Amino acid sequence: MAEMDLHVRKKKMATEDKIFYTINAIILIIFAVVTLYPVLNTLAYSFNEGNDAVRGGIYLWPRKWSLSNYAEIFKKQGMWQGLKVTFARTLLATTLSLFANALLSYILSRKNFLFKKSLSLFWLITMYAQAGLIPSLILYRYLHLTGTFWVYIIPGMVSAFNVMVMRTYMEGIPDSLEEAAQLEGAGYLKVFWSIITPLCKPVYATIFLFGAVWNWNSWFDAMLYNRFEPKYTTLQYELMKLLDNVGTDGNNGTAANGQAINKVTPTTVRAAATIATMAPIIAIYPFLQRYFVTGLTIGGVKE
Amino acid sequence: MENSVSKSNFRKMDSEEKKPRLSAKEFGRQKVLVIISAIYVVYGLIFYYLPLVGWIMAFQNFIYADGITGSKFVGLDKFIFLFSDVKFLRVIRNTFCMGLLNLVFSTIFAIIFALLLNEVRNKWFKKSIQTISYLPHFLSWIIVVSIVHDALTSTGIINDLLMRFHIISEPYPFMAKPAWFWPIVTLSNLWKETGWNAIIYLAAITSIDPALYESASIDGAGRFQRIAYITLPSLRPTILILLLMNVGNVLNAGFELQYLLTNGLVQDWSRTIDIYILEWAMDARNMDYSLGTAAGIFKTVVSISLILIFNSIAKRKGEERLF
Amino acid sequence: MKTKKILSLALASLLVASSVAACNKGGNGGKVTEFTMFAAMAGKEKESDNEIMNLIAEKTGVKVKESWLTGQEAGEAIGSIIASGKLPDFIDGGDGSVTLYENHLLVAWDPYLEKYPNLKEMYTDEEWDKFRMDDGKIYWANVFGNHYKQDTTTGQNGEAFWIQARVLEAYGYPTITSLDEYFDLLEKYAKENPTLPNGTPVIPYTCLCEDWKYYCIENAPMFLDGYPNDGCCIVNIDEGKTNPKVVDYNTTPTAEKYFRKLNEEYNKGAIDPDFAIQTYDEYIAKLSTGAVLGLCDQYWDFAYNIMGPFASELDASDGSKFRLDQLGCDYVPLGLTIEAGMEQQWHTYGDELNQSSGVAVTTSCKNPDLAFEFLSRLLDQDIHDLRFWGIEGQDYLVDENGMYYRDETMRENWKSDSYKAKHTCEYSYMPQWSGISKDGKNYMQPGESPSEFLATLSKPLSDCFTAYGCGNYVDMVGSANVYTTDLPWYPLWSWSNNLSTDTEGGVAWKNMGEVKHKWLPAVVMSKDFDTDWKAYMEAYNAVNPQAFLAEAQAEVDARLATAQANGWTE
Repeated sequence: MAEMDLHVRKKKMATEDKIFYTINAIILIIFAVVTLYPVLNTLAYSFNEGNDAVRGGIYLWPRKWSLSNYAEIFKKQGMWQGLKVTFARTLLATTLSLFANALLSYILSRKNFLFKKSLSLFWLITMYAQAGLIPSLILYRYLHLTGTFWVYIIPGMVSAFNVMVMRTYMEGIPDSLEEAAQLEGAGYLKVFWSIITPLCKPVYATIFLFGAVWNWNSWFDAMLYNRFEPKYTTLQYELMKLLDNVGTDGNNGTAANGQAINKVTPTTVRAAATIATMAPIIAIYPFLQRYFVTGLTIGGVKE
Repeated sequence: MENSVSKSNFRKMDSEEKKPRLSAKEFGRQKVLVIISAIYVVYGLIFYYLPLVGWIMAFQNFIYADGITGSKFVGLDKFIFLFSDVKFLRVIRNTFCMGLLNLVFSTIFAIIFALLLNEVRNKWFKKSIQTISYLPHFLSWIIVVSIVHDALTSTGIINDLLMRFHIISEPYPFMAKPAWFWPIVTLSNLWKETGWNAIIYLAAITSIDPALYESASIDGAGRFQRIAYITLPSLRPTILILLLMNVGNVLNAGFELQYLLTNGLVQDWSRTIDIYILEWAMDARNMDYSLGTAAGIFKTVVSISLILIFNSIAKRKGEERLF
Repeated sequence: MKTKKILSLALASLLVASSVAACNKGGNGGKVTEFTMFAAMAGKEKESDNEIMNLIAEKTGVKVKESWLTGQEAGEAIGSIIASGKLPDFIDGGDGSVTLYENHLLVAWDPYLEKYPNLKEMYTDEEWDKFRMDDGKIYWANVFGNHYKQDTTTGQNGEAFWIQARVLEAYGYPTITSLDEYFDLLEKYAKENPTLPNGTPVIPYTCLCEDWKYYCIENAPMFLDGYPNDGCCIVNIDEGKTNPKVVDYNTTPTAEKYFRKLNEEYNKGAIDPDFAIQTYDEYIAKLSTGAVLGLCDQYWDFAYNIMGPFASELDASDGSKFRLDQLGCDYVPLGLTIEAGMEQQWHTYGDELNQSSGVAVTTSCKNPDLAFEFLSRLLDQDIHDLRFWGIEGQDYLVDENGMYYRDETMRENWKSDSYKAKHTCEYSYMPQWSGISKDGKNYMQPGESPSEFLATLSKPLSDCFTAYGCGNYVDMVGSANVYTTDLPWYPLWSWSNNLSTDTEGGVAWKNMGEVKHKWLPAVVMSKDFDTDWKAYMEAYNAVNPQAFLAEAQAEVDARLATAQANGWTE
């Protein structure tokens, strides 16, 4: 009797599951299509000839194929230098700041840490107290950070937002692990490095991704601090310059003489630039993704 | 039964945390932590607190050549200017409402998306959907706004569909209607950022012990029960922390999106604090940094007050909190 | 302890990096001095090994690396450059120029004007006086629209009601002088030719209202009443040039009549339903389809961006190919007035002097004398020709009469961005001339050479000019032959563009802009024009336009007084 009941229940659940999975898949597919559209649209524009694209009406497929938008980007002087600097800063700044944030999060997640509350507040305030552009500029000038590569690395090293996210994650780790290690004589740093860090891979991956994307995409700092230092230009700054200045000929007083007929337009070059900068991030994504997507499925599928 | 699972495993009640006493012994034990914290504090003081000296500018008529030390003090003039302007109050309303709409909906959508994704069993499908979902994050607002604009003009797809299904007889000018501005902003935000916002929740979900699910299904918990009693409670700390932090950000509702999306007809509903500052503080002849700084101070004060209020509410309810 | 090590390591490398940077700054080895320049405008960077740039460097010993505005407003950029403490050698601060002056960051031109006659020659003493700041010195010089010997302008760079040449052609090139005639023609043509050969439906009229470019809808009443582009108000000289009166063009009967007309046309469906919400990009996209028959705008704002699309081949519905420029979609300017037969000044003859910004040398420049010498050398005819015509034989040819001309390839080259990036070097924000070359027969700028000008026109366009008996755009506008150089206060927009909100009038000016941004499209789209116009006028008067007008009047009077003090007479 009881066995039968279980059997019926299992069967019922199997059908329920099927319905659920189907509905869920449909919802997610609709969601994916909706979010994919702007990306595909951008992709289509990036491969379309500029003058033709000006007329609009391009959706998922280029109307007039052209590679000139990509050519425009890659032939721009300074682009390779920008790429080098961006690559270096992304790697260095993201790694360093991940470490710095993780260590601070670890300290703030210690339950009996004496200054837990005050230090949390100290960092939290930094998230909201905005000094503005000019004071920071003046500060970096006095610290001799302007006009150097280090202005990309040092000022943004600690981010209160990331610290809070990591701290929350670390607080979710059972204390028993730490206590066991401490009984064996491990100090705080040892616990951080060999107990907490391995367990925090998903959140580290997340923060690393956030940091990498931020560094990869930033250009405003390059302009503010290194405007006249072409050797410290960044990829996105070069792209911004390109975009702002595509098709601006003739807008100055030399009117009649500057009748440039451009093969590329801001719209199409912007599309190409977007795709080109997205590509590397998409490439590293799967390596990070497995840390935060697959975690559950390992256990979850066993039903 | 499910209740006991969730309670024992996921609610770290406050009473569990013993408040450490500041004694020489405890201090000595935590020496390493204290020293490292001190280094962080020095760093924070230099890079985050020192620039706040610039706040003095809000009480001055700041001129570069004279610097912060030499510029003339004008007292609260800049604040009085801001708050005596009807437009500024309107701008606060817009910023606050758009910020709140965005906070509420983006949180809900990101969580729902993470939960739905978490229920997918096919690994390949799951990964693909997730990859696709975060891609729009990389598009600049210029691109997104041009697509939104395209869709909403008189010949755009939305009007086209509405007319085809005879819901309206002539094109509706969505972009020209003030009432539509906030919903359009909120939807654009959702469209662009839901997948990206979900990443944090997905990472948090991975920390859930699979054994919990197993024991729950053995006990006969259905899918929705497992979501309600295991997944959501596990996400609770993350959700609350993010909510608390983002509450402080409601006045940073944005600049670029609104700036690109606005037009003369809807300006009374579209202008945010940042746009107001750009338009009024930075007039061509002389950039009024003082006014911009005054508005910045205002935003900071509001943000920190909101954080303090909500943090103490969370504390009283025994929930996860920031400090 | 590990942290400490890392920190000291980081500190050490920081010191190394900054000392390396300091070293690099030092000597440059060769004879060429490299200067930097920042212009607070959009522009294209030249490649560092640009060919003509190197030629000019050989001749002058100076090479300038130009950088342009990116993602910031001019004022913002200037502010952050000042705060960062790293100034370029040359700067054109645009709207932020005064800020630079107020911060004592610019080198006065005065001693160098005496030393370098080329620079001095740019303006008359009276004109130079207009550049003087309140300390009595000159800190910058505007470089544009300055004609050597004579006004050779061929283009109508300013505002007009534009109409596609094919519309005029279809009705045998009628004379159109009033707003009513203009819209009648547009409507009639649209009715008879509802689509382009590729099926795109025609839009009789559109109008940009975005941001500051809302002048397209906003300032027509000034022109329609026959006044020149003072930009912010009418300066009425009915009582003589010594007694100018500032008049608000927003509230004139002409304004009401103009907007009533637009409203009428909108409700008839003759105006683009999306005109009020379109962005600049959408506007250009619309124009690029060739579907828009008429518009009101300044030439530079739309024309360059649609040339490419107009010159490319399209597929017609019947399978044939066509090009918009050959179809006659190019725009022709009309100098309309509110009533037929009035005189108008859509085009202003003579050079407009915008003294509010220009090229300057900063106090960071280590060798200001060399900098000014370079500015002066740029005006030598040989270098000027290199900048704007290029290299003889490669970029232009000289005929038996010694006249410069280009062949088709050369013209194409000078339209190509990549060619310009690696070969041409205009130093476009440095001192330059328009007009007749110093040899007395050639032209300073190729675009002003009549033969070069005609060579770039499409056939329907030149047919249209011929039909009206016009040689160029300027003739086509047919403005009254008034030289604005005779008006000491002209153009007043050089004052209103730089108005700060420190004064009551400045605040009013800003508020007037906001009210108009909201209400002008609203009254055009109104179902009940009279009620909405009344509401608009109420909202407009509520922001105290009188305060602004009073300050405008004061500025006109002040400019007049300065001129009179310098010996100006009617």
